[in-house]
Amino acid sequence: MNSRAFLEELKALLLSRDGMFWARLAIATGQTTEFNQLFQLCSLRKKAHLYKVVSPGQPASTLRLAILGGYSVYPLHELVEHLCEVQRTPVELWLGDYDNYVSEIMDESSELYAFKPQIVLLLPAESRCKYSGRLTDPVATQQAEGTKTAESVLELACRVNEKTGAGVILTNFMLPARHDLGAYRNRTLGSDWMFRKWVNMELGLKAPSSIRICDVEFLASRMGNIQASDPRGWFETKQLGSPTMLVELAREVAHLIASLKRPPKKVLVLDLDNTLWGGVVADDGLEGIELGDTSARGEAFKAFQKYIVSLKQRGVLLAVCSKNDFNKAAEPFEKHPEMILRMSDIVNFKANWEPKSENIRRMATELNLGLDSFVFVDDNPAEIDIVRQFAPGVTTILLGPDPSEYVTQLQDCRLFEPGSITAEDVERTNQYRAEVERKALESSMTDMDSYLESLVMEGQISEFTTVDAPRLSQLINKSNQFNLTTRRRSEADVLAIMNDPEFVGFSVRLKDRFGDHGLISIVIGHVQGFNLEIDTWLMSCRVLKRQVEELVVNEFMRLAQIRGCTKVLGLYLPTPKNEMVRDLYTKMGFTLTVDQPDRREFERDVADFRATPTKIRITQKSYEQRRSNDQVANRF
Amino acid sequence: MTRLQTVFDDVFLEPVKLSPQLTAKDVPEWTSLAHISLLLSVEKEFGIRFRVGEVEKMQNIGEFVDLILERLKEH
Repeated sequence: MNSRAFLEELKALLLSRDGMFWARLAIATGQTTEFNQLFQLCSLRKKAHLYKVVSPGQPASTLRLAILGGYSVYPLHELVEHLCEVQRTPVELWLGDYDNYVSEIMDESSELYAFKPQIVLLLPAESRCKYSGRLTDPVATQQAEGTKTAESVLELACRVNEKTGAGVILTNFMLPARHDLGAYRNRTLGSDWMFRKWVNMELGLKAPSSIRICDVEFLASRMGNIQASDPRGWFETKQLGSPTMLVELAREVAHLIASLKRPPKKVLVLDLDNTLWGGVVADDGLEGIELGDTSARGEAFKAFQKYIVSLKQRGVLLAVCSKNDFNKAAEPFEKHPEMILRMSDIVNFKANWEPKSENIRRMATELNLGLDSFVFVDDNPAEIDIVRQFAPGVTTILLGPDPSEYVTQLQDCRLFEPGSITAEDVERTNQYRAEVERKALESSMTDMDSYLESLVMEGQISEFTTVDAPRLSQLINKSNQFNLTTRRRSEADVLAIMNDPEFVGFSVRLKDRFGDHGLISIVIGHVQGFNLEIDTWLMSCRVLKRQVEELVVNEFMRLAQIRGCTKVLGLYLPTPKNEMVRDLYTKMGFTLTVDQPDRREFERDVADFRATPTKIRITQKSYEQRRSNDQVANRF
Repeated sequence: MTRLQTVFDDVFLEPVKLSPQLTAKDVPEWTSLAHISLLLSVEKEFGIRFRVGEVEKMQNIGEFVDLILERLKEH
């Protein structure tokens, strides 16, 4: 709905003193980014109070909010007041005088203390965040002054917190938007650009938990520092930034105030088809859905899953709610090699034909959580609507038409921002620990063997499958360096090889304790009588020298034996890019038989071959009967 | 003056009848918030930009109109 139509509707509701006014006002306010529109909504709100339009629902208790700082807080306070009221955390305001905040805080008999604020918004003056010396002073001197600047601001914030017990919201500093100093700008902490960045970092890293930083630097750079700054507004009425910047700032303040009262959401409920992957798994089949690095869309869906996993790691519970046959819906989680999300990531998996609102209600009971802890994500407006109507309390997110924006939609939804310090601490400790471990590992590596051992590598060797065909063909067509023959093949060629008894083919997936490398090596062998000729052997350079080379030789020698071959023939066809594997076969114990500029051939007897031990634990070998579905799921 | 009247009609809920003698004090809705909103709307409507300090010197709508006309001449 456009803003003008919205205004007309609101005016009509106002004149008829309809209580619906408040709900519509909240929606209109949520959509507004422009100062003027917000102002108009603000005026309507005040009118509604005059006209005594009654708000349905419980009256919310009022918080006492003091706003003070090195700026004029008019008209910022109006915006904050409006936003707080429509989000049902109304505030009663006390406003400091322009640039009088230091004495207001230091003087215990000031009106600030008489007001007994529950929340203090402190906006320290940018004019005092400036290096006093020269650009050419030693960095240590400049750094010390920056640290001192930050500390004196924090001292004020802590003081007001101690004296009043109020939670403090402290703004940091906007960065300059102009070219001043040019390339020299970031070579000295004496420039405003670097000095303010330093102070902001110090503020963020040193503020105690009773102080919330309102990240003005981020807000301004998000909209563009030029858009955010307003020198005329400063000279005329001591404004912190442009009118649009004030709107953003007021929104952030209101958000921080709301987050003091409301915990972040706990459960993310996900639709499946066209949400976690492209297409409909029940129609398109496991091979047909778009997911993974073979297409741009597939990559976008994979990235979305990766972001969802990162939410899980922050402590968000993941659930699935899909209109689907259960087995069909579960199949990608168990069998699709490019799925990031696995069954073990999902706390509650509902795939059936019941309305989604019912399913989410059931989840709430089963997980013993309120509906207001749930966020539901779907690409289908009809499903979103059903949940809105029949499971009110659940927050819904309608995904847009472009999966590349799914991640940004979640990143900007502001529903999963860690609120409680304890939960955050736990997570931070974990991350910290992993990082420390990795570092320790790198530095303690004395020899290659123990390094490889410590990686806890797992290899999965699989014959070619239809699901893998696009990825196989893609890797075959793009690998250049570690590629012995550089023979390219289409997806159809790969499928043909699968069905040709003269050929054997396998791929290797590798993972280690730091992550999954995915499909990283491919071999195609051609059985010709008693010889197995290695037609194709390629590998991703990311996993070079990880003993995958040895693992691959072990595997094709094993296959040669199974197929009754006595010799394995290796082939190297030089290209401008594959010099690195020129001597690979000889390093692997093969004998050079033909050495021509455009072709080198090698061979090795099967009979006397002994598998080279590697540090890679093999979870599956190619052409071996899979034992049961459970084990299949575990392998992925 | 007519164009300015439309801007005022958009900004204020209660109708404000413009006249050269009108001042901010005559309009209860004309708060600090409304003031900024009004100036933004005027700049947008006329495609002009006021210079620092000039608007605060204006005594009434008549002078304001003169200022707008002066800025318009520059285009």
